This record gives sequence, structure tokens and C-alpha cells, in this order.
Amino acid sequence: MKQNLIAAVLAASIAAAGAPGASAQELYKIGVSAGLTGYAATVDRAWRDGVELAAAAVNAKGGVMGRKIQVIVEDNRSEPQEAVTVYRKMLSSDKVDVFVSGCVSAGNFAAAGLLLRAKVPMMLCSILPQQAEHLPWAFTTLPPAGFEVDKRLEYLKEKTQVRKIAVLHDPTPYANLQKGVAERNAAKYGLEVVSVDQYKQDDADLSVQISKARSAGAGAILKIGLGGTTLTAAKNIKQLGADMLLLTSLEDLAVFGPVSEVLGDKFFFVASPSQVYEALPEGALKAGIKAFLDPWREKFKDRDPNWASRGWDGVMLTVAAIEKAKSFEGEKVRAAYEELKGFQGTTGVYNFRPDLHQGITENPFVLATIAAGKVKVVQ
Amino acid sequence: MTISPAITSPERRPPRLVGLLPWLFAVAVVGYAMVVGGYAATVVSFALIYAVFVTGLNLFMGFAAQVSFGQNAFAAIGGYGSAVLTATYGWSPLPAMVLGIAAALLAAAIVGFPALRLKGHYLAMGTLAIGLITYEITVEWQSVTQGYLGISGIPPFGIGPYEVTSDRGQLIMLALVVAACAFAAARIRRSRFGRALSAVAGSEEAATALGIDVSRYKLMAFLLSAGFAALAGSLFVHVVGYVSPEVFGLHMVIVTFTMLYVGGIGTVAGPLVGALIVSLLPETFRAFKDYQDLAYGAALILLLIYAPRGLASLFSPRGRS
Repeated sequence: MKQNLIAAVLAASIAAAGAPGASAQELYKIGVSAGLTGYAATVDRAWRDGVELAAAAVNAKGGVMGRKIQVIVEDNRSEPQEAVTVYRKMLSSDKVDVFVSGCVSAGNFAAAGLLLRAKVPMMLCSILPQQAEHLPWAFTTLPPAGFEVDKRLEYLKEKTQVRKIAVLHDPTPYANLQKGVAERNAAKYGLEVVSVDQYKQDDADLSVQISKARSAGAGAILKIGLGGTTLTAAKNIKQLGADMLLLTSLEDLAVFGPVSEVLGDKFFFVASPSQVYEALPEGALKAGIKAFLDPWREKFKDRDPNWASRGWDGVMLTVAAIEKAKSFEGEKVRAAYEELKGFQGTTGVYNFRPDLHQGITENPFVLATIAAGKVKVVQ
Repeated sequence: MTISPAITSPERRPPRLVGLLPWLFAVAVVGYAMVVGGYAATVVSFALIYAVFVTGLNLFMGFAAQVSFGQNAFAAIGGYGSAVLTATYGWSPLPAMVLGIAAALLAAAIVGFPALRLKGHYLAMGTLAIGLITYEITVEWQSVTQGYLGISGIPPFGIGPYEVTSDRGQLIMLALVVAACAFAAARIRRSRFGRALSAVAGSEEAATALGIDVSRYKLMAFLLSAGFAALAGSLFVHVVGYVSPEVFGLHMVIVTFTMLYVGGIGTVAGPLVGALIVSLLPETFRAFKDYQDLAYGAALILLLIYAPRGLASLFSPRGRS
């Protein structure tokens, strides 16, 4: 009798284990390698929150093709070696299906070979890997480096008398790309780059670089890079009594309040559409941002939405690719990413192609300033 | 604190079983990673690369009782040497590695000759500056190093048409390299050179009185240490296939010092044990998420409280593991 009971229990256990989905719904796993600590923490924590918010929104509607999304986040400490370890962990231990990873370019580059061998695609916050063989499996939500630069050059040409400019940049890959664009494109806007200088993200004084720019005759500084150095640059410009405009790149809005107090109407910044949502005209872009911004504001109040909105886009693009491929298989999802066209995201319209894995093809940025404590679009 | 053998006679004692425990631990960890593969193999591979670096650091800091915060500079020279020669100029990994190590040795000789005239805190600060300067060069010399963009497409290590591409293959290769390094360290320790370093570690004045050319032996220990660091740097870039300046930054200095003290400074097995423990601990606590660093830090403090001479020393009353 006892033996029969054990046999019955065993048989029931085996049957239960053998019936897929009987006990728990199958999951689609999204891995996020993010610099939650280290230099990329501000950006990548926001990116992670955007990814998790998007996954929750998709799951609330029943998931993707019947599967709920599970987000697995690992901290790469903004270090390439740690990134390799966490990518490896998520691939072999967590068995993730796709990566929607943060802005630590070096970490994503270092792990790109692993993903190629595992045939798992990645949608990134950062620039794309440099190695040609890694490119087929990597996609990015990041607009081309030139867009942020062009918007500022366009403004200087059309709205100011400034014809000589200085470029001040940090040493990160994206900033270096932008610097190169500024040097190449300035002439197209009738501008001359008279000074190019680099600073480090932890520099506490930029007066040497600013003095050099002023003595070279620059009427405006294009500052390229993130962090507290924007406020440092503003204070130095004021201390030196330099009659110069400061036009900074994309950044957390929280940084810009104090900068605006220092420089007033001589300060401008590049803003993404989600940062100037209220100023946008009605249309598809505004509707796309609203879908993200409503739950974002409900959960995070007035926290800057820029990087989180691209994390949201990363998940939504992945969902669209799965639905287009009608498959969860890595190779098919990868191919479907390449076919995504006219996808309205929060940063703009994504148009991927097999030879173009940087989907934003039209400049989505605006130039803004802060007037009376409010963000105002000027270009 | 340094645990050094007697300087006058090379003792040869039969190995005791308890003294083999650190080695058995290392074999067990590497064996486990070999069987499991994947994530475990990656973590242990990095640990083995660090073990090479720390074995070299131990020669200088443990055997000769000197201080260097700048060995990351030589890892960077070895790593970037390999990376640039293979990825940019199409060299095979082996000659690139050899040239990278040679370049690191040359750099170590150039900076070591004047720097090693310093002592104590001054030597520490001088070597720290070497590491920081090298880091800045890797960031700023963009035409060669590509700055923070890094160098991709570095081929895996191999000889001729044979490339070590699989996890397990790399693990075996690294385990063999570590075994060779540990063997070399053990032989050095018991050699005339090792005994001279012990004398220098005890008292530079006394060593001079014994007829030991202190400056020469310190420089040789520094060069050897730099060679091990360059080898580790080169192995790293061939295993990962990518290099950027952050790899050889201040973080590397802190991690390798932790490994040396946790494993047991002045012991032969200590660098390997320390590298494995310090690499595995954070992964063990990864499930703690935001509290990972807290748990890791607490574990390190406990280790240093209960094994102040390092883990390898626990298995030998006189710290000879």
C-alpha cells in the first residue's frame, strides 16, 4: 500500500514536471547589464528604471505573445571586466533571451563577442561595438552623435552673430564622436572652431580651457559631456567675465537649474523630446511619450525622464521585434529588429535596416533654455 | 607584514598534508569551473589572471618587503602591447605578448632605477604616480590606444593555427600559466636570489653588511614583478578580446592588494588563494543586490580579523604555504 502511494506521488510529480506551463507561465527574460555603481550610475539607474517600467506595462497587458517579461538586472560597476562577468552570468545561469543594456560602452564592447557566440541580440543605450563582426547582434536607441552637435550649430548660425566657437569635451567615446562632428560640420554652418580642449569628468576648474577659448576669439562654447562640470564651466565663464554663450549637450534637467542661475540667458542645452513634453505639438511623438511619461511620473514624480525613456523604447522595440518575428528565438528577433521601420518611440521614430543598427535617423532634439524657472524651447 | 624564510639555509622539508590544503582548494575551484563552464569559468579565469599579477606583486611586496602601488602600469603596458600589435598590426599573440612583456620590463628598469632609491611611504607614492601616469597615457594617447573607446578584435591566445577559444581551453591554459608562476615563485623563494630578498626584507642595512647589493636585488624583484604584471595584462586582453583604460585603473591596485593580504603576503600559495577568494566572494553575494558590497566588505573584514596573516598562512604554523 505504502509503495503504491509513493509510486502515485512520483507519477504525479513527473506528470506535473513534464507539463510545461502547467505550474507557471513561461517567461521571456530580458537581461540588463548596467552601471548601477561607478561613473555611469546616474544614467544607467534611470535606464534600468525605464526598462522595468516598460516590462511592467507590457506584462499588465498580458505580456508578449503570451509570455510575461522578466527583467534581470546586474550591476557591471561601470567596468568592462565586471560587464563580461555579468553578461556571462545572465547568459549561462539566468538564460536570458535578449539584452537591453545600459550606457557603459566599454562593457558592452567587451561582452559583444560573447553575445555573438551565444546568438543573443542586444539593444543598447550606448554606442555600437566597433568590431564589424559584432555589429549584426547589436542595436542602439542612441541617436547619432552629430544630432546633438548640429542642433547647436544650427542655432548659432540662425539666431546669433557668433561665428567663432570653442569645443570643450570629456574623453568618453560618445563625446569624442561629437567633437569630431563639430570639427567637421562647423564650416557647413558658417562657423569656425577656434579652440578644442578636453577636460576630465572630475575636474574642479575649467578656467584654463575657457581662457584659451576666449583669447582665441570664441563667442560660444559647445560643451560635450555629462556631470557637474557644466556648472563648473558656467561659474568659470562668469568669474572670468567672458562674454560667451554656453551650449551644453544632453543632460539631466536637474543639473541645469543651477547653471541657468549663473549664466541666465547665455545658457542653452540640448533636450530630448521627453524633457520638453509640455512644449511639444500634439501628434504621434507626443502620444508616444505620454504612454511612457504617465506611469513614469506616477512612480517617479518629476525625476528626469530622458534616459529612462530610451530604456522604455529598448523594451518596446524588443516586443515589436518579437511580434514581427512571431518567435522568441534570438536569430529571428535579431532579424526582426533589422526590419523595424517607422516605430514611434519616446525619442523619435526608429528606422532600422540590416546595414543601420542605430535606429533614430531624424534629429529628435531641440535646443532649450531655462527662463523664469521653466524649460523653454528655442530651436 | 612579511613572512620570509631563513636567509642562510634553504630548508627542504617534506610537504605536510595540511600545507597542501590551499593548493587542493585551488584545484577544486578550478576543477569545478572546468566542469560547470560558463559563468563559473569566466569568474575563475579572471581570478587566475589576477593570480599571475598578485604572484608578481608578492615577489616585490612579500619576499622583498617593498611597496608598490604602480604595478598596474606594467599590466597596462603588457596588455596594450599585445592589443595594439595583434589588433592593429596583425601580429600573432605569442610574439605580441613577448614584446609587450619586454616593453614593460624596459619601462620598469627605467622608472625602477631612480624610484627604488626611495623608501617606505615615498616609494609607495612614487609607484602610485607611475600607475596614474600610465593610466593617463592610455586615455590620452588616442591614436594608439583609442582612449576610452578601447581596442576591440584582439584575437584569443594561440600558437600558430591553434587558438584557445573555448572557456575550458582558456581555463586550462590559465591554470597551467598560474601553476608555472607559482612554481617559479617557490623556486625563487628558496634560491640564492630569494634568500637575498629575505635579507633585504629583514633589514636593508643588515643585508648591506652581509654583502648583498640591496639596490640591485630590489630592482631585480621590481623587474620580475613587472614581468608577471605584464603577463597578466596580456593574458587579460587575449581572454576578453577587448581592452580599455578602466581595466588597468586604480581599481586593479585595490583589488590586487586585497588579494595579496587576504591570501597571505609572503607565502607562495597566498596569491592564488587570495585571487580565488576575492574573485568568488562578490559573486557569492551577488544575490544580495544592493547589499552585495556590504556583505563582501563584512566577509573581508572577518577574514582579516581571523586570518590576519592571510588564509594560506592558516595551513602552516610558520606561514610557508
